[in-house]
Amino acid sequence: MRVSGIKTLIKSRKSPTDLIEVLQDIQASYNYLPEEALRKVSEELKVPLIEVFRVANFYKAFSLNPRGKHLITVCMGTACHVRGSRRLADELLGMLKIKPGQTTADGKFTVETVNCLGACALGPIVVLDGKYHKHMDASKLRNLIQNLRVKQTGKGNAKNKKRLRS
Amino acid sequence: MNGTNRYVTLKIDGAIVHAMAGTSVLDTALSYGICIPHLCHMKDLMPAGLCRLCIVEHVKNGKSKVTASCTLEVEEGMVILAHTEKILKARKNIAEMLVAEAPNSRAIQDIAVRCGVKNVRYPFRNKACVLCGRCVRACGEIWRSKSLGFVGRGSERRVALPLNERPEYCKKCNACIDLCPMTITPCPGPMKKGEEYLCGLCESQLSMAKDIEDTCVSCRLGDGFDCVRKRS
Repeated sequence: MRVSGIKTLIKSRKSPTDLIEVLQDIQASYNYLPEEALRKVSEELKVPLIEVFRVANFYKAFSLNPRGKHLITVCMGTACHVRGSRRLADELLGMLKIKPGQTTADGKFTVETVNCLGACALGPIVVLDGKYHKHMDASKLRNLIQNLRVKQTGKGNAKNKKRLRS
Repeated sequence: MNGTNRYVTLKIDGAIVHAMAGTSVLDTALSYGICIPHLCHMKDLMPAGLCRLCIVEHVKNGKSKVTASCTLEVEEGMVILAHTEKILKARKNIAEMLVAEAPNSRAIQDIAVRCGVKNVRYPFRNKACVLCGRCVRACGEIWRSKSLGFVGRGSERRVALPLNERPEYCKKCNACIDLCPMTITPCPGPMKKGEEYLCGLCESQLSMAKDIEDTCVSCRLGDGFDCVRKRS
């Protein structure tokens, strides 16, 4: 389906050392790594498919399953945990009816947990499409999700792309 | 090395041995009949240093360093101690952890007994893989197929097929199964989950075989794990 698109993404990068770069570009434009893309990359860059698969599996920045339009990351580090990030995550997951790492059925939200974001003074932190939201609580979180649901859908995706490219 | 076959002289357990530069300490020791237990190491395959069973003490400038001998290249004047108390204890611990991870393998049960494991202090996990990488390396290096590989990291590391399906270029050589230490079930039969134990059936033979010359019990681990001394 999108193999030609992948070819333009690969551009002139044909060396095995460009693998991560190419995968990053594919991740940025599709929001995940489709199977055909991995096969095509393996062919074009002359890297064994298992190697491509391994790299795609190794880095958390790559996802092999389609991701939602909005990526919500909840920090579960020590400082955030003490300030109730677990309850916050449970609240969020209950609200969206998914598990960590999963995407909602409508394809709008993906929730991930992370062990520390390194901004412990601002905890509990929730990152929404690359933007840090400090001192979160349940009501703030609910507002955030509500706002996103109301807003037109295109905006969040554009932001997400920008974050991944940079 | 410089392209020429240069020989070096080193000491392993006090014995003076000669080896071609570029070979590993483990290979040299095995070819001289000094038995160092090993699991992931295989002749003709690149050393990986994954099982850590082949650890030895490398004495240098009066200090000793514990390293895996399969990834240690021979050097002129090297002093290697393969059977010191420290090493035997560490090796026993490694074997204990291995058998706790995968008790359902004769090769691993054998290694545990021969390394002196008497009881297992860790909970049995009964996994189907110990990540020795024999299959992965044989697939990539001998058969040049690369249909197998390690995927994931940390506790999620596992052997997998690309995109989790058998690729067309898999040669169906079955080397991955032939070389796997998990394919031989322990002598009393396969163990169910929750009923694992240390087999230890061949422990009684251990002291006997030690006194017979030219027999080496340390490496007779299932089939395909033998060393030079046993074959002769």
